[in-house]
Amino acid sequence: MNRTPRLVVAATASTLTLALALTGCGRSDEAGTPADSAGSITDGPATGTLEVWAMGTEGELLPELAEQFEADNPDVTVNVTPVPWESSTEKINTAIATGEVPDVLQVGTTLMSGFVGLDGLAPTPDGIDSAAFFPGAWDTTVVDGTSYGVPWYVETRVLYYRTDLAEESGQEPPQTWADLTDFAAGLQDAGAEHGIALQTRGNSTALMYLPFYWQAGGEIMDDADEFTLDSDAQVKALTYYSSFMRDGLAPPVLVEDEKVANFIDGDLGSFVSGPWERANLLTTAGDDFADSFGVVPLPSDETTASFIGGSNLAVLADAANPDSAWKFVQFATDPAVQVDWFGTSNDLPAVQASWDDPALADNESVAVYEGALETARSTPAIPAWSEIEHELDLIIEQVIAGDLTPEEAAAQMQEAATSIGTGLD
Amino acid sequence: MVASARRRRTGLAAWGFALPFTVLFAVFMLVPVASSLYMAFTDMQGADLRTPWAVNFVGLDNFVEVLGDPKFHQAAGNTLYFVGVAMPLTLAIALLLAVLLNSGLAWFRSVFRVGFYAPVVTSIVAVAVVWRFLLQPDFGLVNSTLDVIGIEGPRWLTDEVWAMPSLIMMATWRNVGYTMVILLAGLQGIPRDLYEASAIDGAGAVRQFRSITVPLLRPTLLFCAVITGIGYLQFFEEPFVMTQGGPLGATNSVAYEIFNQFGFGNYGLSAAMSYVLFIAIVILSYLQFRLLRTEK
Repeated sequence: MNRTPRLVVAATASTLTLALALTGCGRSDEAGTPADSAGSITDGPATGTLEVWAMGTEGELLPELAEQFEADNPDVTVNVTPVPWESSTEKINTAIATGEVPDVLQVGTTLMSGFVGLDGLAPTPDGIDSAAFFPGAWDTTVVDGTSYGVPWYVETRVLYYRTDLAEESGQEPPQTWADLTDFAAGLQDAGAEHGIALQTRGNSTALMYLPFYWQAGGEIMDDADEFTLDSDAQVKALTYYSSFMRDGLAPPVLVEDEKVANFIDGDLGSFVSGPWERANLLTTAGDDFADSFGVVPLPSDETTASFIGGSNLAVLADAANPDSAWKFVQFATDPAVQVDWFGTSNDLPAVQASWDDPALADNESVAVYEGALETARSTPAIPAWSEIEHELDLIIEQVIAGDLTPEEAAAQMQEAATSIGTGLD
Repeated sequence: MVASARRRRTGLAAWGFALPFTVLFAVFMLVPVASSLYMAFTDMQGADLRTPWAVNFVGLDNFVEVLGDPKFHQAAGNTLYFVGVAMPLTLAIALLLAVLLNSGLAWFRSVFRVGFYAPVVTSIVAVAVVWRFLLQPDFGLVNSTLDVIGIEGPRWLTDEVWAMPSLIMMATWRNVGYTMVILLAGLQGIPRDLYEASAIDGAGAVRQFRSITVPLLRPTLLFCAVITGIGYLQFFEEPFVMTQGGPLGATNSVAYEIFNQFGFGNYGLSAAMSYVLFIAIVILSYLQFRLLRTEK
């Protein structure tokens, strides 16, 4: 036993000395490698083998899309590897660090900057037209001025409400902030225990809150990449957001697991969520429940805004077959293919042209999203964002609990973000 | 000369047998330990994964930052609170159960042993779901029971005061079985005639427990205390699945903070935090050895 410590020390010391001898230690002076100039996609069919990694439902359903692509390109073989969302970041980081990478990767919109920071993704070639996509979605592919992928599908947050309660209280769906407050109070008078549910704590609280900040005219960063969180809009939005809990219109502490059940029971009048919630409601309550609720865009204040999420398709910097990989990305973001894919997976198309197709335009439950997507925005694509978001979650929780005034909170948010920095060198 | 040659051969054979383990240990334990130590003294970030040597040495800066960070203070305070309450509680309940099972109940011993041990081997995810139902403020079993006797139960997991006690209850329930089984084995190693002799001298059950059971169980208790202490200082699963460190950071633990900082890509900082936690574990174990040492 008494030999172990010495052994450890010796091993550690020798490893370090060896390492230091082998490599000049310390950071190099160049601030980040400039992105390679984006190439262009060649003409002609795709060939060879393509490795594609995708997560969640997309990972399960992607083989169907791959089959269509193989039918159009007889000389290509597509292998899809499903990756669980929970461990995806570690798996991809490891793959990039070791160079054992797939050709095409599904990347959650908020995860782009991390993989770009590792120099893992290839810049988007010229052949892809950024104007074809929702602007908020395209912005999620751009890190430090260069685009590293293509929007694949999108989601945005809207207001789900009980139509029967709204009718009973004789109200139209809300359009402004003041409307939403009255609307929630009306739903409560019509029998709901709470008029609305807004996230009060935990991961992603900031993502539920930020649309209100944007609506109030706030910006997270200015054009010079400086944080602008300590603003009048922040105070206004925090005051408004926490007023629902303070005035008893929303649960002071929201338990996420109970939201859907309470909404179905009529104890909850409305809540904010994304397109996936519809399927949740119908599986839990049965298909007849579709007549009992409606979906409207979030109310606007100074301007209209919601949060845009979803996934992009990226090609890896070390991809073995980059040319065919980009062809696959081009195929997956073709307007007609996007409509088919919506039919397969219910993922909303990131390409604006797909929304003119009757499959979407005549579908009441999704048409509402088109308007919201035009002005929906994403959080900044900077490597440090996840850490900043975590701080915002904690600060918002304190405002709702009454431990911080909105003014103090706005100053703290700015201080936290500035001390963490962007994470871009 | 012959003797030394033989000794050398024996030495070689011994090393030969030990080689597979030594190689595995070196690759999977020593290398990670060495690299985390290296990380703790550099400004390594997630973006440096591909070029781990192209980072700057920052000396003790990470440690200074960790020890001056109010969030880390809160996490450290929470962890000490958890260990300080949950460890004695776990040991006391386990000892009580072990003594009860050892003295009477010979018939049901295996049934109880399985019952108390089941939470130890159940997946934390399943346990979390069940406990969330139990602790649900409006219709959960705990508050419904309290309602019957006219007490209005708190919002267990979302109240700043009650969140940590809730997790302490849950962790104790999860870990008591393991400690109980070890103590039960220790109890069965105490010779019966000691009890018989003391009974003849007029010692009652309490006196027997204090003068025979506890002193003879010391080595077993020490083992349980050290193992529980090491596990509890790395308090992570309960806040991760139940509260995400909330409300207002009341259940954030050191291990959870390390996990978060790793997730944000602050490798240097989280490695430094890990070493602070490691030092705390060493100190706690040392104290336990000092306190529970068998007197010569």
